[in-house]
Amino acid sequence: MSMRELVTGGAACAVSGSSSSSSNPLGALANALIGSSSKTQERLKEIPNAAAATSHTQFYDDPVAALPGSELDHPFLQSNAQGSDFIRGFRTAHDNGLADAWDEIQRQPHLDRVYNAAPAPPIQPTLDGPPQRVLSSFLHSFVDSSRSGIPLHPTPLPLLGLSQGDKQCIRDRSSIMARHFFADKSEEFINSQVNALLSSLEIDSDSHAKGPMPGRFRELEDYWNESQGILKPGAHAADGWVTEFSQHRAQHGDPDAWAHSFEQQHGAGGWASEFEQNSKFLQFVSKMSRGELIIDDNQVKPASGSWATEYQQQFNGGASWADEFVHDEVSHGPAQWVNEFATEREQEPVDDQWVNEFSKLHVDDWAEEFGRQVGEGALGDSSSDNWATAYDEFLNEQVASKERSDASTGVYVFSDMNPYVGHPNPLKEGQELFRKGLLSEAVLALEAEVMKNPENAEGWRLLGITHAENDDDQQAIAAMMRAQEADPTNLEVLLALGVSHTNELEQAAALKYLYGWLRHHPKYGTLALPELVDSLYYADVARLFNEAAQMSPEDADVHVVLGVLYNLSREYDKAIASFKTALKLQPNDYSLWNKLGATQANSVQSADAILAYQQALDLKPNYVRAWANMGISYANQGMYEDSIRYYVRALAMNPKADNAWQYLRISLR
Amino acid sequence: MPVFKTPFNGYSVKFSPFYESRLAVATAQNFGILGNGRVHVIDLSPSSPVINELIAFDTADGVYDVAWSESHDSVLVAAIADGSIKIYDTALPPHSNPLRSLKEHAREVHGLDYNPTRRDSFLSASWDDSVKLWTLDRPGSLRTFREHAYCVYSASWNPKHADVFASASGDCTVRIWDVREPGSTMIIPGHEHEILSCDWNKYDDCLIASASVDKSIKIWDVRNYRVPVSVLNGHGYAVRKIKFSPHRRNLIVSCSYDMTVCLWDFMVEDALVGRYDHHTEFAVGVDLSVLVDGLMASTGWDELVYVWQQGMDPRA
Repeated sequence: MSMRELVTGGAACAVSGSSSSSSNPLGALANALIGSSSKTQERLKEIPNAAAATSHTQFYDDPVAALPGSELDHPFLQSNAQGSDFIRGFRTAHDNGLADAWDEIQRQPHLDRVYNAAPAPPIQPTLDGPPQRVLSSFLHSFVDSSRSGIPLHPTPLPLLGLSQGDKQCIRDRSSIMARHFFADKSEEFINSQVNALLSSLEIDSDSHAKGPMPGRFRELEDYWNESQGILKPGAHAADGWVTEFSQHRAQHGDPDAWAHSFEQQHGAGGWASEFEQNSKFLQFVSKMSRGELIIDDNQVKPASGSWATEYQQQFNGGASWADEFVHDEVSHGPAQWVNEFATEREQEPVDDQWVNEFSKLHVDDWAEEFGRQVGEGALGDSSSDNWATAYDEFLNEQVASKERSDASTGVYVFSDMNPYVGHPNPLKEGQELFRKGLLSEAVLALEAEVMKNPENAEGWRLLGITHAENDDDQQAIAAMMRAQEADPTNLEVLLALGVSHTNELEQAAALKYLYGWLRHHPKYGTLALPELVDSLYYADVARLFNEAAQMSPEDADVHVVLGVLYNLSREYDKAIASFKTALKLQPNDYSLWNKLGATQANSVQSADAILAYQQALDLKPNYVRAWANMGISYANQGMYEDSIRYYVRALAMNPKADNAWQYLRISLR
Repeated sequence: MPVFKTPFNGYSVKFSPFYESRLAVATAQNFGILGNGRVHVIDLSPSSPVINELIAFDTADGVYDVAWSESHDSVLVAAIADGSIKIYDTALPPHSNPLRSLKEHAREVHGLDYNPTRRDSFLSASWDDSVKLWTLDRPGSLRTFREHAYCVYSASWNPKHADVFASASGDCTVRIWDVREPGSTMIIPGHEHEILSCDWNKYDDCLIASASVDKSIKIWDVRNYRVPVSVLNGHGYAVRKIKFSPHRRNLIVSCSYDMTVCLWDFMVEDALVGRYDHHTEFAVGVDLSVLVDGLMASTGWDELVYVWQQGMDPRA
């Protein structure tokens, strides 16, 4: 059978040679040849190999068999789908590739099938045959580019006659699928692949297309909150968890019930109004911190007369936030918080004046940021997204700048405007401040010290500890690294580095430092094996520490390290046991109480955690880290109003505690 | 071991709950990106390793998934890429099929699951971010569950609690729902990448597995969903579909874009207990027979459907 006959069609063996388009230039050539349909037959005759499947199959590991053939045994159903000529071409024409033809011939059993195929009349002339083949093979190469790792290049394809619906399908589906194949490649790679596909097919990447999901990753707490918003919190019995879940529901079976309950929860305006209230709330808060509002006798009073008019301007019309604030119609986090703190103000005149601390916050940091963000976004604009996105951007900037300053192998960032520079003995001053619990001030003093004497290991060490207690692990690690450089065998430094890296979930680094602690310890140094240094496995290190514990069970430090190690491997029960043992030996170590609390919180024993944190705070009332951790534990139990209080306390003491900002934002939702 | 060649790329394969040797295969042309689709109903022949096609139904757009009815032995439902769900009856001639076309989803329907306990209803998971509940006799959906933020790839009924199901979505979460409740009852943010499939353990109603584009399968206990019970690593590419064994408590089968089908025992330290690399393209569909212990089937974009007994080589 000559090539020409094959091309012009016959029983079922039409030809095209584009069976294996690829970045292989021969394949692209074949495509181009086939596409220019007029000269197809002749060219094929001249260059039979170009069209042959064999040269290309090797490139692909037998994809030829995978080409969609179109032996049609049954007539197609009427469709109401795309309805383009192109698709009709798919449905009715016999457009086998030459490659298919070769294969059919080679695979004897299938031969019968081919020739016995009902000879459906080729409705479309052969001219349209090739475009289907072209598209098939092009899509095939798109899929294969994932495996072969060769990026797809935009190939100029002939006009394929795709309808708008077709194009949309191709665009959306290929981009969704691309995200599955190319998971470990960057977003840009995926986009470029898809764009190459689309541009070759002359499809615009429309903004209406199903793009990647925006705002992918939320905090675990967010999901927990969302769940909790639906359920009441409570322990679930081992069995029958389903019935417990359903017991918390108001009604069953009524299809409209949920809509009503939703309305009840969020007010008639729906969830959008909730966000609006949020932004108004923030305005309120920022005003308060700027001293424009005063809480007096459980009422909000303007500091100056102008507030009233401003208020009127902002809350134009309708049942507004203020009404809801008064009537407390909406069971909404921020509104309740406001009520709570107002009532609290009344009840606890002496202690816990966190309201005052709140307003004493460095205006530069907290309130202004919020005020600015809110001013840029939410003022007068009821769109909920602005506040949220503005804040997101703010946080992302924070994260980005932190990452830019090179995460935990940190470069230490000194504070600006340090009043202690030039002080005669900043180290002593720093130690005093630390003892007094004025952590932020201590940081400044110690920074002055290490600026003066960069080799002072003790200065760096204390600075690191101060940052850790201030809940700033990044700076803590940076400072500790410098301390370690100045004094590589200091055990406390090594332990602190191990703890900080554990907090940052960097297991390898943590292991390195904890192992270093062992090696340099006068008593346990013998246990350390030099060959382990290069490839530290968790199991080995844990075993060595257990040996050390057996050697001297009275040494609290070993138990502390063991506790940290178990935290790394998430064996929380063992970690709790180790910390408790250490605490029996050193009951006044506040940071140990904090570690115990954190472990308990991580193993979802939030109630116990709170008790432990309380012990820590009793020993050291200005322990920022413990305050923040308390907040987390309350939030985990769904007690958001309480948690906010703790976060704000922590932030009042250290406005640079980035974690606390994040947690606060979550609780405010 | 018998092999069946489909003209289009395979998307899903399901064993019939009534006939040991019957399977349904969902296929789509051009990998489901553009083109037609076909549903095949095939029978294993008892004597020889040959698979016969009982009947096939053509569709205007790719078929992404298929599910057998638990109430009628000849009825199956197919998820079509144009957003419709078509009900077919193999006992009726082709011109009477499909029995019904349910068109409500705005985007492609990617997954179907038939309720094995109630037997009257099924779920559809769609790229329009919603899951819908249907019965065979009604022309419209009973419920729509719209909470996911991105495509829902799969929905799976809990084998013990007839009204509970889970959905896996590209927004990286698995959500657990109760059809009697308005919203989801639990959200498991299980992975950092899209979750393509989820399935419940058939023997322990609190265990659910999720398979993700991050190449891992995680087993979760709904009572403590913060930390997975187990993480199964071993696939080289995104894991496309998973299924817990109806016969063994801890056995789970998975198929992946790395062209392999893997068997896992998640209670064992070295969880991978079997690996089959018979496919030459992405393996996208896998199923375990409820009626025959150890019988499994898989299909892939290489247009082949393999049916084999666990432990044997599918290509033999």
